[in-house]
Amino acid sequence: MLPHRDPATQPEGVVAGYAQTASRWPAEPLVRRPQTRTELGAPAPHRRLAPARGDLAGHGAKRAAGQLIHLRARVVDEDGAPVAGALVEVWHCNAAGKYIHPNDTNDAPADPHFYGAARLVAGDSGLVELRTIKPGAYPVPDTRGWWRPPHIHFSVWGRVWLSRLVTQMFFPGEPLNETDYILNAIRDPAARSRSLARLMPTERGPANALVYEYQLVVRGRGATPSLP
Amino acid sequence: MTLGPFFPREFAQGANDLTVLEGRKAPGEPIEVSGRITQLDGRPLDNVVVEIWQADSRGRYDAPDFCGWGRTATDARGVYRFRTVKPAAVEGRLPHINFLLLYSGLMRQLQTVMFFELGADPVLDAVPAARRERLVAKRVTGGYHFDIRLRGEDETPFYDD
Repeated sequence: MLPHRDPATQPEGVVAGYAQTASRWPAEPLVRRPQTRTELGAPAPHRRLAPARGDLAGHGAKRAAGQLIHLRARVVDEDGAPVAGALVEVWHCNAAGKYIHPNDTNDAPADPHFYGAARLVAGDSGLVELRTIKPGAYPVPDTRGWWRPPHIHFSVWGRVWLSRLVTQMFFPGEPLNETDYILNAIRDPAARSRSLARLMPTERGPANALVYEYQLVVRGRGATPSLP
Repeated sequence: MTLGPFFPREFAQGANDLTVLEGRKAPGEPIEVSGRITQLDGRPLDNVVVEIWQADSRGRYDAPDFCGWGRTATDARGVYRFRTVKPAAVEGRLPHINFLLLYSGLMRQLQTVMFFELGADPVLDAVPAARRERLVAKRVTGGYHFDIRLRGEDETPFYDD
């Protein structure tokens, strides 16, 4: 039996300032259900999904524009134990704030050397590493000056169906973090801080990349909050 | 106007046919499970990511010839579509398929469950009686239809995860 997700670790469903949430989050309360074999079953998505692209930054003439970063994200379960072999999907916009997605209407240039999507498999210590570039900030259409701070999307599978975690990682010290409706939908400052990566001492990483560390805690008291 | 997640199109492709795995055909009755996902004003939603998880026709999870997990995204008409097999009843549960939805404007993933008929089931029984019917799919030629209304009239019941 898994304890229910602690609401304090999660964002609000309807967020003032983010208009679409009021049309999409259910009005009725979520129903508590018993946990049976199916909720606690372990899907194996890697049987359907192959790993893709372990390096988004590229090299030489094919190097993506932007600040090179090296991400070290660790997947852990509710007890803090690493989830070895966890499948992790990562996606983010380019340094100018443009996604590869056709629905992105932001008037920012695409980068021919950047394709912002990767699928990784965690090692024995639950670690995935990704060499990429720091994403840019971008304005949200049809709002009064809401800009998304730089952030990286993660989708991760824990051990069981109920451990699915989809979230966004933010960079520490970004001024736009203070006004972002999505990050600040997590009311608890301690939980919110778990959505921020940690900048590691520069002498510990490759000479030309900033190293960021981040934890994906799929459930539990210290869970990483879900974000869209 | 769309705000993220700009979930890469490629991530949502190629995983919605559960009837074949590594060249092996899943045993059981093949069915198509499809439906339309709409929001408060009834507008269908494009590019909603839909993941499912279910037992196979013999009640096995993650079997050698059936992994039980699939993913797709809705099209511009708000329609998702899976090919799968009808699951068996397992350990006091009615046959069912678990659904998980991810979308812009959904701050958290939403979980619901599709049933094939009403009956005694602890997860169905957790829903107020008047709303249980909403979790039962409609039988259509070749499969089942399960519409999902995120909010508003005839709202789909969702579970706390």
